[in-house]
Amino acid sequence: MARGKWLLIVFIALILSAVPTLRSAETVWSGLVIAENVAQPQPIPPELTRVERPLKQLFGYNQFQVIGQSRKTLQTGQEDWLATSKFFGLHVDARGETEAGYLLNLKLYKEKELLLETDAKLSKRSPLIIKGPQVGGGQLLLVLVVQ
Amino acid sequence: MKTFEEKWTAWLDGQLTGRQLAEFEASLPDRAAAEAEKADAKKLGGLLKRELRAQTLANEEFFNHQLRERIACEHAMPIRERNASIHTWWTIRRLLLTGTASLAVFLIFAIFVTRDKNPAGRSQYLTQILNARVDPVISPNATISMFEAKEDRVTVLWTEGLQSLPADYAAK
Repeated sequence: MARGKWLLIVFIALILSAVPTLRSAETVWSGLVIAENVAQPQPIPPELTRVERPLKQLFGYNQFQVIGQSRKTLQTGQEDWLATSKFFGLHVDARGETEAGYLLNLKLYKEKELLLETDAKLSKRSPLIIKGPQVGGGQLLLVLVVQ
Repeated sequence: MKTFEEKWTAWLDGQLTGRQLAEFEASLPDRAAAEAEKADAKKLGGLLKRELRAQTLANEEFFNHQLRERIACEHAMPIRERNASIHTWWTIRRLLLTGTASLAVFLIFAIFVTRDKNPAGRSQYLTQILNARVDPVISPNATISMFEAKEDRVTVLWTEGLQSLPADYAAK
């Protein structure tokens, strides 16, 4: 009886020790966001609530609207995907996974023109915000968050 | 003045000499019986000396004896240890179990405590921008900078001078 209890404790400990090594599939949300100052701002989309404060503080706009988005569940860390709006496209190419996050190559297209390219190590705990071109009275922002 | 018994013992041992010897032998009532008794006593003495002398061991016997003693010690030791283990709490098995339990507790703490203590402010846990570039033909005056808003754990790639676009481009 006592031996069984000890074995159970050891078994649980081993299972728990293995938990960090079991990597669950994670989802990366990528969004094309138009930031504007309007008289009657719409509530911030739920995808952006995590970054609401830095968005407002850093860019000084009161309304943020998602014009294109993609939610990709990463299994291997080698996937690629596209978030598009009518005129913009954000191509995300995952090139590997580290303990800290995903290595991504990002390309922002305006129709077929490549406006901006960057390589980033996207942390699972730290969103990435990219300031894009001015669009009308607002600003195009690219937001990537590991959910 | 010696008693008869003392003189008798001395006579048997051959320690009487001269006048004492002559006087004692003259006082013996039966000289022949006394001589016979003396001879028997000598014989017995010799026998006892020979038989009771400490037995010296031959080399082979000595080593056999040593070996037997050592084997006896080795056989006796586990019994002593077994007896000791009955009385002590820290048997090998309990030590192993205690060690395993301690390891399990350590792992549980290591997983739950250190995981929650993940340092939010450390830059290795912030997103890093490795490089960035813009098309110099489309946006010749564009500049790029990057910074981390550590308070919000956000990394920002800040561009200036990108080609401005009309409001129509904000369409979904």
